[in-house]
Amino acid sequence: PLKDFCILIAGVMNHIEHNYGKGKRLNREDNEEDDDEEEDERDLEAWERAYADERSWESLQEDESGLLRPIDNKALHHAQYRKRLRALSSTAAAARIQKGLIRYLFLVIDLSRAAGEMDFRPSRMVLVAKQVEAFIREFFDQNPLSQIGLVTIKDGIAQCLTDLGGSPESHIKALLGKLDCSGDSSIQNALDLVHDYLNQIPSYGHREVLILYSALTTCDPGDIMETIQKCKKSKIRCSVIGLSAEVFICRHLCQETGGSYSVALDESHLKELVLEHAPPPPAIAEFAIANLIKMGFPQRAAEGVISICSCHKEAKFGGGYTCPRCKTRICELPTECRICGLTLVSSPHLARSYHHLFPIAPFDNVPPSHMSGTHHRLPNNCFGCQQSLLNPGKIH
Amino acid sequence: MKFQIEDVTVYFPYDHIYPEQHAYMVELKRALDAKGHCLLEMPTGTGKTIALLSLITSYALSKPSSLVKLLYCTRTVHEMEKTLAELKLLHRYQRLHLGDAARTLALGLSSRKNLCINPAVVSAENRDSVDAGCRKLTASWVRALAVENPNIPTCRFYEDYEKAASDAVLPPGVYTLQDLRAFGKEKEWCPYFLARHMVQFANVVVYSYQYLLDPKVAGIISKEMQRESVVVFDEAHNIDNVCIEALSVSVRRQTLEGATRNLNKMTQEIQRFKNTDAGRLRAEYNRLVDGLAQRGNLPIGDTWLSNPVLPDDILKQAVPGHIRKAESFVSLLRRLVQYLKGRLETENVEKEGPVAFVGSINAQVGIDQKTLRFCYDRLHSLMLTLEITDTDEFLHIQTICDFATLVGTYTRGFSIIIEPFDERMPHIPDPVLQLSCHDASLAIKPVFERFQSVVITSGTLSPIDLYPRLLNFNPVVSRSFTMSLTRDCICPMVLTRGSDQLPVSTKFDLRSDPGVERNYGRLLLEMVSVVPDGIVCFFVSYSYMDGIVNSWNETGILKEIMQHKLVFIETQDVVETTLALDNYRKACDCGRGAVFFSVARGKVAEGIDFDRHYGRLVIMFGVPFQYTLSRILLARLEYLLETFQIKEGDFLTFDALRQAAQCVGRVIRSKADYGMMIFADKRYSRHDKRSKLPGWILSHLRDAHLNLSTDMAVHIAREFLRKMAQPYDKTGGSGKKTLLSQEDLEKVGNGSLGEMLF
Repeated sequence: PLKDFCILIAGVMNHIEHNYGKGKRLNREDNEEDDDEEEDERDLEAWERAYADERSWESLQEDESGLLRPIDNKALHHAQYRKRLRALSSTAAAARIQKGLIRYLFLVIDLSRAAGEMDFRPSRMVLVAKQVEAFIREFFDQNPLSQIGLVTIKDGIAQCLTDLGGSPESHIKALLGKLDCSGDSSIQNALDLVHDYLNQIPSYGHREVLILYSALTTCDPGDIMETIQKCKKSKIRCSVIGLSAEVFICRHLCQETGGSYSVALDESHLKELVLEHAPPPPAIAEFAIANLIKMGFPQRAAEGVISICSCHKEAKFGGGYTCPRCKTRICELPTECRICGLTLVSSPHLARSYHHLFPIAPFDNVPPSHMSGTHHRLPNNCFGCQQSLLNPGKIH
Repeated sequence: MKFQIEDVTVYFPYDHIYPEQHAYMVELKRALDAKGHCLLEMPTGTGKTIALLSLITSYALSKPSSLVKLLYCTRTVHEMEKTLAELKLLHRYQRLHLGDAARTLALGLSSRKNLCINPAVVSAENRDSVDAGCRKLTASWVRALAVENPNIPTCRFYEDYEKAASDAVLPPGVYTLQDLRAFGKEKEWCPYFLARHMVQFANVVVYSYQYLLDPKVAGIISKEMQRESVVVFDEAHNIDNVCIEALSVSVRRQTLEGATRNLNKMTQEIQRFKNTDAGRLRAEYNRLVDGLAQRGNLPIGDTWLSNPVLPDDILKQAVPGHIRKAESFVSLLRRLVQYLKGRLETENVEKEGPVAFVGSINAQVGIDQKTLRFCYDRLHSLMLTLEITDTDEFLHIQTICDFATLVGTYTRGFSIIIEPFDERMPHIPDPVLQLSCHDASLAIKPVFERFQSVVITSGTLSPIDLYPRLLNFNPVVSRSFTMSLTRDCICPMVLTRGSDQLPVSTKFDLRSDPGVERNYGRLLLEMVSVVPDGIVCFFVSYSYMDGIVNSWNETGILKEIMQHKLVFIETQDVVETTLALDNYRKACDCGRGAVFFSVARGKVAEGIDFDRHYGRLVIMFGVPFQYTLSRILLARLEYLLETFQIKEGDFLTFDALRQAAQCVGRVIRSKADYGMMIFADKRYSRHDKRSKLPGWILSHLRDAHLNLSTDMAVHIAREFLRKMAQPYDKTGGSGKKTLLSQEDLEKVGNGSLGEMLF
């Protein structure tokens, strides 16, 4: 009995230590441990997982007077963010990888019968639409020079929802209007359709397909292997994100065309996986020839001028841009001029794209104690936004 | 990599080794040192073959004075080729390190069907006709005639091989069957005879079980092997059945009719010889009087029949007087065939022991036990005398003589069962007389006695203590190894209930219950919608599969399944099954997905792999017990109980579970692979059944997965598949080491490695 007792005590100690460890972790700079925790989360039972997203009880902390107060998670998130930045810049610094900045990406969304399954709440389809929306915004944020098109697969047929274009709003609107699922799904049909579109893209553009695949089968009219070879020949990089399990043909497709294949574990993982495709991928070697591209930098039109815009074919009042070559009026940038076909961008767009090639060097972390020191005459406020650097959140 | 196991330097052709491979080698080495037999169980996909090969060849290299030779037995030609390919890799590595000291000769030996390069012969459709075609061209009398008359066709490859005589040797190296054929083509030598000749000098021989276990073949091929040889039986979980089949004969009506035809032909031949060449028959008679061994003064190339009984049991006596004359022997055989015909006429099932059967033969047609015993040798001699080359036509009379010799030799461990019709189809008369052997130890006994080390190994040898009893030997080492995995890549589940919570089982009283059939159908239907690519289903028997597929068809479940995946079915026709398998693979490749319905104990369950996407899930519907009303099985069970004290239930469960394990084991063939296994029967949850599964399955069978219903299983499957689809680190990150490099091995030393693992 004595032995048993000892084991019991040891067990309790373990428990305490464990809890203590968790508390301490919040203040730590490096978040290696957090990765572990994420893994842990994936091993949880199903009912636990439902609560795992908001672990409201864990974000409480007892202060010195015994009151419960919510912990400020910002510090933690900031640390994670910084770590990611550092990782990014270190890889970029180690090897100057050429990246495709002008991307032509087709998003293929599987709306077959399997998309109606409810293992993701409320259904796979709705969740996918939500992630696609976030993705499209993020994509254009990071790749202002690129274009996206939407394709859906339903009843074994691939349908082009929106042509390649640079306006996030129109894509999102088109997708949300078409959300219902039925029938089988066919990768071959989708690839054929996308191939026809992407084959016309000029050679400097990087052709990509991202398939969000719910189904576990593909019912094809012909030999899909030929289609895959065709895509490979046209240098279309196909990536697949599966929603349920690993399917051989998807893996094969990604391997052949140099894309990535991943399967989502849960909602947050899906989001992560989708957003991974937002930064531009390394360029395919054969593609990486330097090319000169003619671009126009339109000027903002004068306020109060009424003119007919070429994109909506309506008379618009004020705002808008003018194409430097043919003087057409355009509502938003970046785009391709409808009349003369010139690529129209603004210089901030170019600058933002360049960040992928030449990332900003990470800032050095300076502890607040240093700042008050005398020989480092650092300003107390941020020069840009005037926030106080000593206690963030307050403007002096 | 190169490392030391005790005093042996092991050459291993890969840079890393799995810890269980190392442990396996250590055990094997100890067994070889002890000059004893061993039983080793290690899961498939852990590199058993290469571990075996590299240890035994390294062992032989480290002791150049001893005559350690490796006889490696595989079940199929495909496995033979795979083994030889591994050996080639190993040999190249050893040559790299040891230079010419590592020169070895290794070759595969198979039937003429697989080795012949004469296009006219090899085009024949089955093995027997290729053999006969070869004999027609190469028999000594045919060749003697051809010398005089150039119009008689001979095989040029064989002629060239004979001409080269002692120069016809294989240079050292590793030869697969294909290499042998290529070599034969290049030199214009017959690869089959060359291989048979070279077997005596080879260091490693890879061939099929029959060459050692079937006394008819073993007498010719394997009699010259040294005692120091190491014999390996790979995939040996069914070795007892192979032994039993080697000594069992079944006689049907067609056999007897064929035998009568053969006898007529022989009578004609004898008559012809009497008229033309009476001296030949005379010479044979004289030889038999002298009691010379039949083969002694006949050319060696013609040895194609050997006695079906085991060497120890052959009497070293002269052939009895009254069958020395050709006519009297033929008429005796006629009487025997007539008697067997009479016995087949019976309306009832009869079961007799060999003693009673021989007694009744003696009483009715006057053939005594000793005469029966000589039938086979006498037939052999007669056929050579009569210069019969189309041996495939004479298979029937050979079967009869085989039967006669066996029944005349053994008094224990056999029984004769006559059934007028198949138990399952009582309306169709199909009489069959079976001489069935019950004692697996009979056929394997000479192997254990002749060779100092016999290694029996497979992925499923559980429970490991039963094999020594069945085969009647004492292993010096018997161990079961588990797999070290970087992730839980197998997911066995026991499903006991359908979604409606009613139990599912193929137990006799439950199997035709529509509720059970529906529940099985729903299970499959749910699974096809969550599992990608290929699913394999095993049923307990063909008739059960037919029944349940029919009922699924009627209730529309099959149609719903087809919406998700294509359905393929194994049939008893080999060609059809091969075609179905081909298309199944295609459907898995192109992403359409497919289900394969197969039968436990069938061809597919034994030899076909469903690795990677070809089998993400295997469902075992029911417990594959043998047909327990079969007379042969009952007789065997009785014998086992009497002789080895193995209880009926124990043996049946053991047999059923090893089949089940074999079926589900098809799904995982390497560590990078993953797959699920569902045992769909409530009886699997019982401890006596479950505990007989191999350790590597049991260790992954979690307690929570022991009593599942369909919906729970679907949920687990979803989780499992998502988890497995994530990228993973092959070397196994930080905690568990599953790949050892040379430094690791040196660091831990031999002793402590075992503790680290288990």
